[in-house]
Amino acid sequence: MTRLALIPLLPLAGFLVNGLVGSRLPRWVVALVACGLPAASFALTAGLFRELAAGGTPVTETLFTWAALADFRVDAALCFDQVAAVMCLVVTGVGSLIHLYSVGYMAHDKSFARYFAYLTLFLFFMLLLVLGKNLLMTFAGWEGVGIASYLLIGFWFEDGEKNAAAMKAFIVNRVGDTGFILAAFLIWFFAGTLDFRGINAFFAVAQPSAAVMNTIALLLLLGACGKSAQIPLHVWLPDAMAGPTPVSALIHAATMVTAGVYLLSRLNGVFLHAPAAMTVVVWGGALTAFLGATMGLVQFNLKKVLAYSTMSQIGFMFMACGLGAFQVAFFHLFTHAFFKACLFLGAGAVIHALHGEEDMRRMGGLAKGMPFTFLTFLFASLALCGVPPFAGFFSKDEILWSAWSAAGGSPALWLVGSVTSGMTAFYMFRAIFLTFFGPCNAPEKAREGIHEPPPSMAVVLGILAFCSLAAGFIGLPGFWRKALGFPAPFYDFLAPVLGHPPEAGGAVHQAELPLMAIAVLAAALGIFLAWFCYSRRPHWAGKLRERAGVAHGVVSRGYFFDAVYRRVVVRPADWLSEAVLARRVETALDAGTLAKPVDGVNAAARLFSRLQTGSVQGYLFYVLLGLALILCWGVTHV
Amino acid sequence: MTGAFIAFFSLLAVAFAALVMTVRQPMRGALALCGHMVSLAAIYAALGAHVVAIFQVLVYVGAVMVFMVYTIMFLDDRDPSCRQLFSRLALPALAAALVVAGAFRWLFGELPAGAPAAAPVDIFTFSAFSLAFMKQYWFHFELATVLLLVGVVAAWAAVREGRDG
Amino acid sequence: MDRYQFLVALAGLIFAMGLLGVAIRRNLLVVMMCLEIMLNAVVLSFVTFAVRSQTLSGVAMTFFIYVAASCEIALAMAIVALLVKRNGSLDLSAHQDLKG
Repeated sequence: MTRLALIPLLPLAGFLVNGLVGSRLPRWVVALVACGLPAASFALTAGLFRELAAGGTPVTETLFTWAALADFRVDAALCFDQVAAVMCLVVTGVGSLIHLYSVGYMAHDKSFARYFAYLTLFLFFMLLLVLGKNLLMTFAGWEGVGIASYLLIGFWFEDGEKNAAAMKAFIVNRVGDTGFILAAFLIWFFAGTLDFRGINAFFAVAQPSAAVMNTIALLLLLGACGKSAQIPLHVWLPDAMAGPTPVSALIHAATMVTAGVYLLSRLNGVFLHAPAAMTVVVWGGALTAFLGATMGLVQFNLKKVLAYSTMSQIGFMFMACGLGAFQVAFFHLFTHAFFKACLFLGAGAVIHALHGEEDMRRMGGLAKGMPFTFLTFLFASLALCGVPPFAGFFSKDEILWSAWSAAGGSPALWLVGSVTSGMTAFYMFRAIFLTFFGPCNAPEKAREGIHEPPPSMAVVLGILAFCSLAAGFIGLPGFWRKALGFPAPFYDFLAPVLGHPPEAGGAVHQAELPLMAIAVLAAALGIFLAWFCYSRRPHWAGKLRERAGVAHGVVSRGYFFDAVYRRVVVRPADWLSEAVLARRVETALDAGTLAKPVDGVNAAARLFSRLQTGSVQGYLFYVLLGLALILCWGVTHV
Repeated sequence: MTGAFIAFFSLLAVAFAALVMTVRQPMRGALALCGHMVSLAAIYAALGAHVVAIFQVLVYVGAVMVFMVYTIMFLDDRDPSCRQLFSRLALPALAAALVVAGAFRWLFGELPAGAPAAAPVDIFTFSAFSLAFMKQYWFHFELATVLLLVGVVAAWAAVREGRDG
Repeated sequence: MDRYQFLVALAGLIFAMGLLGVAIRRNLLVVMMCLEIMLNAVVLSFVTFAVRSQTLSGVAMTFFIYVAASCEIALAMAIVALLVKRNGSLDLSAHQDLKG
């Protein structure tokens, strides 16, 4: 067993320990197992990453043969190449930090061990997804993270609403998974392999017709949309905020929801030969980014603002994928993991301090009571808004530049992106002003308990805030690279798998600086407006809301996605299963097919039960009869 | 001479067995059973298996039948509840038993003819048998004593159960 | 028909008679006696084969059958006494506790 296999297996061991005997162990042992094993996993990842970065070749390991048919063979194999390495670092790194944070956050929960069992289970499946060498392994991890997500959203299962949210997430994801598995069938049918490298190599030289390529790509996109909460399958993500906040940070912000981006990047060989599907990816991503940001504008639930923001940022990543700039999407994924996790954990600290209050209208003025949390939250927000020199600036700017300059890009696309980043700045600072400034609207009793988070949580916030500031410098945009003579190690590292940025080959960079300036200005404008509406003239916000009228209603109801789904999907399905299938078809089937055999069996049972007279002599007679029959058989066969 | 002897006692054994099956009084049945067993013992003796003949008389007629007779006397053998001699299934059972007997006849009547010549030493005399038995079967013999002990304890337990319950 | 064939057939006949008696007689004691008849039939066949092959094992087996028979009769008589005490009847049809 090499180090590679240990990376996912250590969290699995953690799950087994905490899941099987955790409730009987003292809490500090549970916490030690839950933090120690992912941290060990992170250390192993870091070691392998160093070897890879020093020029090593990707490590692969076959654990066992999963299935071997005549012309079809799938191994349970892991592969640690550049893309997997980056993703793995994020998953184990942020994952370990969030385990540590959870020790403080869940300290008072009665199901302490169950929580950590689920969380480490998630980590195992996520690592399986990331490290899978073929589509089937990734699919196994893909489904596994879905289960872990379901378990964690519904962690407080006594609450019916939270259960419903968990089921919604699971069921909506099934739609996407159907697309994933259909795409896998098609890929196997045409390429004859499920190995990622084999698939990309096959489609690089021999493509079936464009229609087939587009179908495969669109089905994959459907799968990615489900997992990554892209329109039209985004409806589960806001509801998923019902789970504990560290879960939202790990699963619904930093890692699992970005699995869609990971999938697209993994199968870039398929997408690069499906131009029509790429257009869909681009505009689907742009639409999600824009609509997600607008929905974030009107939310009052702190976690839901962040959820819509996540959705919007993943829209950006999809946009980059659609433009062929997979490594740019990946860079944004990388930076986003840090600052979004930091934001969620900061929000968690706030919610923790206010004893579960999530509504921003009942917060305010918290900057005084919890300055450290405020500072980290501010750092992460600035990163999210794309303010230089925070991490988000570099990654988001690169996406916007791709939107302008890449082959599928256009000024319109760039405009959508820029407006979205302006809105991002607005809703983030709206959240900051509502939460940390102004008068405190919390009830008297809650106000007493406002406190800084315990050290285990604060450390995590600090680390993540630092990463939000610093992570951007390893992937400077093209313009800065040239101007400062600085390398971009991140892109160079990923180049063997994802190729170089599309515009790297001698494209003009003159336009890049003004575009960058405009984006920063948009962000600044958003921040200014938020300050003006929510801090300087608080009553303006309400007036604005009234003025917007219908539009505000539409947006705050999430563009009626939920209502439409309820009318079009849920209710007809209910009607079909209840009124038609349950009441008519099933009864008819029962009467026609089951009732008669059941009667027959009953009659036979009654008949044979007469043999059981209870009289010994009756039984002896059966013995005699049986003996006679056996002997008769003997006579005829000897 | 021996053949006629065996045929006579075979007839007697069958007749006594038929009597056991048909008489109403259990005590008369027990006497018929004694006759049946003695007839069989005579057959064994005619075959030269003296050991078995001796055991048959000692163990069966001596010990087992004493048990039987003792129980019959202990219970009221003129039990009025036994009005009917045979159960309702008598006729089908008779047919089945005839089939069984016929099948036995068919299956085992066809032994390869001729027996090996008698050994120079008669191994079935009491002393020869005892020596050989104790040499070869001493372990089984010990096991059998354990079985007997268990049987005694079990019978005692059953009687006690009856006294208490 | 030689002597041994005759005796084996006789053992089969006596066994069938014992079995028939067990199956049709209603008196518990007589049923026990018929069981003894069956055992005797088996002993007869063992002895016949032992004599025919001039080996010891068949006879040794009869010895163990006698041990088993005496155990059986001791227990069976105790049980018969118990049953009669419980149901007040020697009639087998009075004992129908096995009814399912």
